[in-house]
Amino acid sequence: MNKKGVAGFPYFVGIESLAQVATTDDTICVLNILGTESRQVTPVSHAYSGGNIVFGTSPGHKGEVLVTKAGSIPVFDSVREGLDAGHHFNTGVVYLPPSGVRDGVAELIRVNPELAKVVILTEKVSIHDAREIRAFAQSNGIDVFGGNCLGVADSWNQVRIGGALGGDHPEESLIKGSVAIYSNSGNFTTTIAQYLATGGWGTTTLISSGKDVYIHFAADEFANALANDDRSRAAVMYIEPGGYYEQNLNLTKPVVACVVGRWKSKLTRAVGHAGAMGGAGDNAESKERWLMEAFGVDAIFTPENPVASAKGAVVINIAHIPLALNKVAKLNGFAPDFAPTGNLALKPWLGNNQGLDLPPEVDLPIARAIAPYDLQIARLRQQIGAVIPRQSMRDSSGATRMDPATQITSVHGHSVLDLARLPFEVNMALALVHETIPEKDRALLHIAVAAQANLVGDPALAAADAAREAGTAPNLVMAAAACMVGPTRVERTLKAAERLIDLFGASGLRDPYDDSFDLGQIPVDDETRALFVGTDPESAAHARAMLAAVDASGSRSVFLAFVESLDGQVDQDGVQAALATTLAWGPLMRKRISRLTAATLPWYLRLYGVSIGSTFSAPRHRQGSLADIPEAELLERTTLAELAFLALTGKKPTDREARSLEMLMGLLVSNGPGAISAQGAKGAVSADGPQTPERVQINKAMVGFLTHTGFAHGGNGFEGMAFLLDRFAAVDVGDPTDPDHGLDLRAMAMAYAKDYKKQKALAKEVGASGPPALPGVHHPVFKGKAVNYDPREQFVASTMAERGEYNIFHDYFRELVQALFDVGASRYVFCINVDGMIAALLLALLWPDYQAGRITEHELETAAFTVFLLGRMMGAAAEIDDHLNRGRNMDTRTPASECKFVT
Amino acid sequence: MQLTGMLYGADLLKHVGFPTSDVLGPEATEEEIQALIERCGSIFVKPVFKGGVGKKGKAGLIGRAHNLKEALAEKQRLYFVEHRVGNITAQAQGVTFEGSIPAEFEVYFSISDSTVFRAPTITLTHMGGVAIEELDKKYVANIPFDPLTGLKAFVIANALEDIGAPQEIISPLVQHLPKLWELYHHYGMTVLELNPIRMTPGPAGRLLPVACDFKCQFDRDDPRATRLGLPASLFSAEYSDFETEINQLRTYQGQSDVFIINPKGTILAPTFGGGANSLVTQVLGDDAIISTDFGGNPPYAKMRAVAHICFSHYLEQANVLFVIGGKANNTDIYETFRAIADALREHFVEHGPTPVFVVIGRGGPKLVRGMGAFADTMDALGLPYAVFGFDSAISEVVNYAQRVNTWMQQGGREELAAHMRLEPEA
Repeated sequence: MNKKGVAGFPYFVGIESLAQVATTDDTICVLNILGTESRQVTPVSHAYSGGNIVFGTSPGHKGEVLVTKAGSIPVFDSVREGLDAGHHFNTGVVYLPPSGVRDGVAELIRVNPELAKVVILTEKVSIHDAREIRAFAQSNGIDVFGGNCLGVADSWNQVRIGGALGGDHPEESLIKGSVAIYSNSGNFTTTIAQYLATGGWGTTTLISSGKDVYIHFAADEFANALANDDRSRAAVMYIEPGGYYEQNLNLTKPVVACVVGRWKSKLTRAVGHAGAMGGAGDNAESKERWLMEAFGVDAIFTPENPVASAKGAVVINIAHIPLALNKVAKLNGFAPDFAPTGNLALKPWLGNNQGLDLPPEVDLPIARAIAPYDLQIARLRQQIGAVIPRQSMRDSSGATRMDPATQITSVHGHSVLDLARLPFEVNMALALVHETIPEKDRALLHIAVAAQANLVGDPALAAADAAREAGTAPNLVMAAAACMVGPTRVERTLKAAERLIDLFGASGLRDPYDDSFDLGQIPVDDETRALFVGTDPESAAHARAMLAAVDASGSRSVFLAFVESLDGQVDQDGVQAALATTLAWGPLMRKRISRLTAATLPWYLRLYGVSIGSTFSAPRHRQGSLADIPEAELLERTTLAELAFLALTGKKPTDREARSLEMLMGLLVSNGPGAISAQGAKGAVSADGPQTPERVQINKAMVGFLTHTGFAHGGNGFEGMAFLLDRFAAVDVGDPTDPDHGLDLRAMAMAYAKDYKKQKALAKEVGASGPPALPGVHHPVFKGKAVNYDPREQFVASTMAERGEYNIFHDYFRELVQALFDVGASRYVFCINVDGMIAALLLALLWPDYQAGRITEHELETAAFTVFLLGRMMGAAAEIDDHLNRGRNMDTRTPASECKFVT
Repeated sequence: MQLTGMLYGADLLKHVGFPTSDVLGPEATEEEIQALIERCGSIFVKPVFKGGVGKKGKAGLIGRAHNLKEALAEKQRLYFVEHRVGNITAQAQGVTFEGSIPAEFEVYFSISDSTVFRAPTITLTHMGGVAIEELDKKYVANIPFDPLTGLKAFVIANALEDIGAPQEIISPLVQHLPKLWELYHHYGMTVLELNPIRMTPGPAGRLLPVACDFKCQFDRDDPRATRLGLPASLFSAEYSDFETEINQLRTYQGQSDVFIINPKGTILAPTFGGGANSLVTQVLGDDAIISTDFGGNPPYAKMRAVAHICFSHYLEQANVLFVIGGKANNTDIYETFRAIADALREHFVEHGPTPVFVVIGRGGPKLVRGMGAFADTMDALGLPYAVFGFDSAISEVVNYAQRVNTWMQQGGREELAAHMRLEPEA
């Protein structure tokens, strides 16, 4: 050993007093100063400590600097270069990776004769290197802190060396006082300082010792330095199992020792702290015993059993440290450094029960966080709605998901089988607000959509009719209408919705139907008023009709009340915005949806209405009525399913027919993001650039969905119907929902199955590929068993059975799959697939009109396609909204490397 | 990473030229066993356990055979024998056949790093062959030495002198024991123990130390151990699939230390910081599924990967996802919370939602941003949660998590599942 250390130690110890651990005279060199961790924490340390770092090293980065608030720190390739440049330092801080730590310490020791201290932050330094570091440092008279520590700090001197005690705001935790901290845990060094502050205790010197097998500046050294530090009246030591560092400690000042880790005796290897593995003699219980003996106490200190002596107390819960320290201090006749700054009781800063009724011990009220976090949380709370990170959404969806095993798709977590049982209005909302809406909301959604369906005088109707007359399929008729619902047409109502979110977002309103809400607190200026009121008498008349319908439904919300309270004539845009905001409010406040979704909701609602409206030919749109239904009746007493049925058949449905149509549309909502229709919608959003959401044309995205349907996708529902029409052409079905039809379906099915088998055999003889696949039966997933079922078909069948409903075409399909097997045309009993089920349901709905000659086969086909479009429109809206919120610009494109050239 | 027994121990000792008993592995033929018996007079049959399993002799798990028949009978008895030490049960995977060494003296020798001396330290006695703790301390030498100069002959000589070792064993031990430092220091060991070393007469009557049992522990943070080329499967029994997956992400930048506490636990607690780990696992006890330390400012990608593995193994069974740590010094809370939240979202997308209550307790840089990001995700997923700052005692937060767990166990889980519209669990 070259230097003489503190007397009384069998090895070298240079630091005699805690006052010498981190001083304003210390000058520092940081090894690997530009490394990931150092780059983040060194600038804070440097600024907090008044600029105590003279230079750093980072091989290959000579000439660079690390910028800090206290000036830039020069960087050299090596320590020698820094010294050659005229710098001096007495403390080395090591941020090197584990394999470089030993060499870094050797470099510091060998080239800098002024070196007195080294702080090693690196974790996972091998024991091999640690034992050599110990030996270098000992033979050269250097004090070492760490490895795997978070450095040392001094609250009096406002100096921290190495690591990051106190985090990015050291002044928050390193409060000047009279208690020294020695901790095996870096994190708990700061946490304990924070806990002490709540009890009115500040700190002197804080040492994060690390908890590797080798602790160089350990409990013995700390005890000695504590004794010699006039500033420190007491100390807190946080101790973990493993090692004999705390045995026979010579503590001359009162100490609260926290020993944690009894449980660790169950571990067979270290977790986190490599040295925190106790054997039989150095486990937590042993350490508790050593310290209790040192303090002359016979039990662990707890609030219930506060055992302490003037020498100290042992706790096993860090939360009990302030209390134990108070007791020990009292026994010594000294008081805390300052008034307590708080308490450690449970105080949730954020929370959400999600509407669950929790028991009181779990249901804690949200507390105000300590400053400055309270202000940050307040700002966070001002942020309305969910924040959704963007990512590539190619072939991905956050809205829909198809289970490949069952082929059942869910939309925002709701299976389409469930959707098949829900009203059209509920599913429309679900696609966008992610929840099934309550009865009150359902009435409002109905009004918001139905009010947009009458297109008299609207260019959308002219466009739709022109497309219809040109012979295009119903998807393009709807698309033509949707093209007319561009951004300008919805600009004002979207602005109005935005304004409502701004105005009410800060008000604390949670329930949009809260009768007790005081509208007087909502400031209204002329600009705001102008978004909701206007001078157009026609628009005002529509608005009145809508509000009357709202009153009739008993669903007046705060937003509608607000709009009505404004001076002037409320117009349709204003009411539409209030309706949409009401629907969005709950999910928005619960952060189920984003602000963007809520603010664009009026656009979707309008597109829903226009799409339904466009299925009625032009003459059926008249001033004050649609399809001869007066506006009031339309808004108050006609469901959207009834309206859709009317569009398809020209007549109002019975309850059973309306339910059947809703079931069909529910089943058709989505087939997951891989469906062509979904891809069309997503591609349209992607092409507009969702990262600039205000530029995305939602009507164009809806057109993207529509143009990605066609005779093969959506229109093919007719194939099943056509097949059934052929089979039933020669018989008198009568009412297809009457089980007493008198037909021998088994015989019909057997006859066809035999014929089909013959066609197959013939085709085989001539080498052809065989007769076309049978529509409505068989499925590539649900096959191979003796008898096969498509779960979706089973679901519909069971629902019908529950409702006591019968469908002759469905029954025929059942006979057919059995007959095909019985005659040997199939190797097993095919399933009836969901398309077969849909064809059967739809044909039953349209059968009376078709039989009576009121609709043609072509119209039957159009109707089948339209049902698909109305159902899938909701799934498309969900995909559009999802992609708008999550996607990146042009994220649906296929990289050139994945594209193929085909000759 | 422990290794016991002569099957591999003999090979390791040969690296430094330390004499060992003759050893045959489980695959030895009857002819080879017979030859060994003929050469040595008798043999010991010992079960092979992966990892560190001690106290075999006391448990009657060491067989002695004087002929092939006895050897085969012992082989049959011990080949798949089960051995329980404390809570840990190990099953043998074969046996070794070790030639017996006639000896007058048995020596115990070990090297480890002592926290008393803060230096590598030898423990040595000439009264070996028994548990070292049972010996009178006057016969046991504990001598630290300088790792820079290594274990030198004089250290051994002085130690043997101190404990009054017989003269005839001093010279051979002084000659051979220092070699073990090379094995210990250069191959990443933290413990090396030979007990017994049997002092057997050599051809010229001089005693030769022969290692007859071997135990060592490697430092998992020291790549020097890989120089020995030991098969990784030797240590694989120590790790579950989950731990193995996590260990693949083990780097010094951000810890990813994990240990399975109770594979049937119901609180999944990613814990940050060694201190928090000690506290949390102590309070949670068997409610906890895993014990972890993910502190050390893990980068986003690593944290997300670690969380993803945790969720894929244990989220479904968890009632409470408990993300807990003290007031971080340098761990970026926003990055780590965003990573865990994204992994949670990803898990729900891949595996569907599961009813879990989320409890968070933390402090540190970018705290509120991190809490906000996490809260947004839980809101979007419809999960109930409570988030505590560092002004709530960490131990109280742990107790709260347990209260939530109790509520979940007493019907809360079903209530939450119904609220989330999930199918009832089987």
